[in-house]
Amino acid sequence: MLGLGQTGALGLLGARLYHLQVTEREHYARLAEANRTRTLAIPALRGRILDRTGRVLAGNETSIRVVVVPALAGRLQDVLRALARLVPLGEDEQAAIVDRARRQPPNLPVVVADEIAFEDAARINLLSSDLPGVLTEHFARRVYHGGAAVNHIVGYVGAPERPALGDDPVLRHPDVRVGKTGAELGLETTLRGHAGRIRREVDARGRIVRSFDDGRAITGTDVTLTIDLEVQKRVMQRMSQERRAALVALDCREGEIVAMASTPGYEHSDLSSPGRGTTEKSNSRLADEPFIDRTIRGLYPPGSTYKIVTALAALESGAVAPDEPLPCSGAFELAGHTFNCWKRSGHGSSNLVRALAQSCDCYFYEAARRTGIERLAATARLLGFGRTYDCGLALQRSGIVPDPDWKRGRYGRSWVTGETVLAGIGQGFVLTNPLQLAVMIARAASGLAIEPTLVIARPEDARGDALPLPVERRHLDLVRRGLVAAVNEDGGTGASARLDQEMGELAGKTGTAQVKRFSAATRWTERDHSLFVGYAPVAAPRYAIAAIVEHAGSGGAVAAPLVREVMQFLFDRDAPPGKPVGSRRS
Amino acid sequence: MGQHSSGGQLPATIAERLVAVNWPLLALVALIAIVGIAQLQSAAGGSMSPWADKQAWRLVFGLALVILLAILPIRLWIGLAYPAYAAGLVLLVLVVVAGNEALGARRWLKLGELSLQPSEVMKIGLVLALARYYLWLPPERVSQPLWVAIPLVLIVIPVALVLTQPDLGTATLFAAVGFALMFLAGVSMLYFLGGAMGLAIASPLIWMGLHDYQRRRVTTFLSPDADPLGAGYHITQSKIAVGSGGWSGLGHLGGLQSHLDFLPEKHTDFAFAMFAEEWGFVGAASLLALYGVLIAMLIAMALACRSGFSRIVIAGTCISISIYVVINVAMVTGLVPVVGVPLPLVSYGGTAMITVMISLGLAMCAWVNRRAVIRPDELRALI
Repeated sequence: MLGLGQTGALGLLGARLYHLQVTEREHYARLAEANRTRTLAIPALRGRILDRTGRVLAGNETSIRVVVVPALAGRLQDVLRALARLVPLGEDEQAAIVDRARRQPPNLPVVVADEIAFEDAARINLLSSDLPGVLTEHFARRVYHGGAAVNHIVGYVGAPERPALGDDPVLRHPDVRVGKTGAELGLETTLRGHAGRIRREVDARGRIVRSFDDGRAITGTDVTLTIDLEVQKRVMQRMSQERRAALVALDCREGEIVAMASTPGYEHSDLSSPGRGTTEKSNSRLADEPFIDRTIRGLYPPGSTYKIVTALAALESGAVAPDEPLPCSGAFELAGHTFNCWKRSGHGSSNLVRALAQSCDCYFYEAARRTGIERLAATARLLGFGRTYDCGLALQRSGIVPDPDWKRGRYGRSWVTGETVLAGIGQGFVLTNPLQLAVMIARAASGLAIEPTLVIARPEDARGDALPLPVERRHLDLVRRGLVAAVNEDGGTGASARLDQEMGELAGKTGTAQVKRFSAATRWTERDHSLFVGYAPVAAPRYAIAAIVEHAGSGGAVAAPLVREVMQFLFDRDAPPGKPVGSRRS
Repeated sequence: MGQHSSGGQLPATIAERLVAVNWPLLALVALIAIVGIAQLQSAAGGSMSPWADKQAWRLVFGLALVILLAILPIRLWIGLAYPAYAAGLVLLVLVVVAGNEALGARRWLKLGELSLQPSEVMKIGLVLALARYYLWLPPERVSQPLWVAIPLVLIVIPVALVLTQPDLGTATLFAAVGFALMFLAGVSMLYFLGGAMGLAIASPLIWMGLHDYQRRRVTTFLSPDADPLGAGYHITQSKIAVGSGGWSGLGHLGGLQSHLDFLPEKHTDFAFAMFAEEWGFVGAASLLALYGVLIAMLIAMALACRSGFSRIVIAGTCISISIYVVINVAMVTGLVPVVGVPLPLVSYGGTAMITVMISLGLAMCAWVNRRAVIRPDELRALI
């Protein structure tokens, strides 16, 4: 009977072994594998950012640094003391390293010294048997060469935020840097490359037993931007005469961003200066928010530049006939409210071209009222407002193209006609950024739904040609005539943007955006913004430029001459003065 | 001595006794122990030190001990039965009073350089005492309540003392060996049925009396994955080691779970898990089969004994070895809670090895003298 019991017990154990080792083998083999391997991601070298002529705006600088792997070091204090004879390493730093090592897994290296000389690295490697756990390694640092002229565009990198569970494991690597702003962020996926993998077999205490190279890191792709560093410098130089301003220049034909400038700019040293935001001097500088790229993050009421939208919407909807004159007595009455024209004496009776040239508010109050907010909003979107662009720049703000749905969602109230009237002259709820203004004028000039881009497309991923805007050509032509008149005819508000004759004509629209409703304008921050959007040459539009100068007063006085100067510079650069414009176009 | 025995021819000379030793059994024991030594060599990363070499010397010493004990006269052991039991009791009391604490348990007595685990002495003492008792007790009284109560007390006292250490594994072993020997001696089945029912009723009370760590062992056994890095770690890692061995294993020195130290106690209590990882199902089942043969041989030896004393001594050895094997293998494969029981002959440990060898030596002595019949008047003279 006992023998039976024994046999039964041993048989049971045999069955159990069979179950574990044969039936469930795969399961336990997987568990065993997971037990002992740790995969370490090795960050790839970031791709460089170049300007259109090939100048490096953002690159990598490799240097040698010393790290110590605490798990291999034995007594870390002794190793550091030995190391201090070879590289400068104070007592405090040693204590800090010991402290840091204690707070992280013992396999992760701790940086001991950055940017050491090659000779020092060689000496450390020679003495490596006395320095267990000490390694020298190449280390890439992101360096920027363009300075304030391109810093907003290029952006910068930083350590990633705490990565989420599903993210790329390389983000947990202490060396990895990701784009934080500008093209560095907007083009992150192209620039980052592919991380390498090292699989490490570790023991139960987490010490490395063996390493396997599972794949080398693949350096990120270089990107060539559409901007030219020299052009940027010149534009920025001119822009820095203004306190706070933004300018975007597009190529009307392709949508390439030719220049972008936001004033004030910043240097990278401003980002990392230890006293950032504490001293009096930096406070006054920071009041102008130099780190904000106003071209994509600054939202402004477009003011009268928005009349281009209203004009096209009115024509397209048939609310106003092409030659239909509308009266202006200096004020417009609607349901007991009075809306003033900027010219208190009134413009008398104007058709569309004259109303655009002289920026008659009353004409556009009435045109907007007849067109209706839905149609106005649709045309605004058609011309590029209310959205961001996949152009390589991150953190764009989309602004607001108001319509009844938007208002109900935002304020829970229904739309009133007075708000349509205000939107008709680019006030009220309307908010736009300078990039959108540039897209709008470029689309109006070219008649194409161009998309802005900051990256010169490689042949393999070239985009298709921009489609024509779905509007009638004669309506677009009429609007353009108004823009030509605004700059080139007497009485036009944009006369100060007029180019020298030999350059060909510049067409455009001024804007004076009210910051405060009834501007008595005593304080600087309450004065109107000065805007101008324009393109040239009129015959075959090449460049479209939008500019805003904050709190500078009327558009015709400040922004218009700014746009003219930049336009002039762009043409001068394309062909030295003296040669006719027509000869240099392909 | 020969002239006192009534039946059969007892081997009288040392040479005759040596011939009567069950050499195949000894060879099997040596084979199992050599497997264990090879495993210890692998556990040390292919080195004989620090475990394999010591274990090898213990094996040599142990085999010599078996032969030595086998050729000593059986009456010596009959005479020493109660004194051995008494000595075991005294030591167990001493360990409670003055034992060395290790890992939260008092199990060891330090005698100068030597450290002694009194429960090992008791393992031998208990078997001898029960055999001695039933040698003396007339067969017709075996199932009378008073004569059942006496061996019960003999079993319960050491069980209770070991439980205070606390050592659940050894207590279980004492109880199991003791009750099995009572059963073999012919105690009525009714007592065992009654005992089993009583245990079922009393088990909630026992649960309440368990130490926290003992309860944790039981609960983590029941759901080891609830706390994989805490108390369930041993079971989880051991099952991973066994399971990842697969059909044919990862090979000698190839066990990753064990060599990377994920498997705890790989040279002692969890030696079988490492063996199963390196030699796979084929190896592990073969090792189990070797134990099966060993146990079968011991059972056959017990059945061939005319002397009741011999039969009980051999059966005691057989039961204690088989219980150790079953509990240990069941533990490393996750069938029972972790109770800290070594695998006989394989797990590293001097005391355990010597105890097994002494048990086998006594069994061998009983085998050599299997035809001896001790008369009651002889018994009186022995006490």
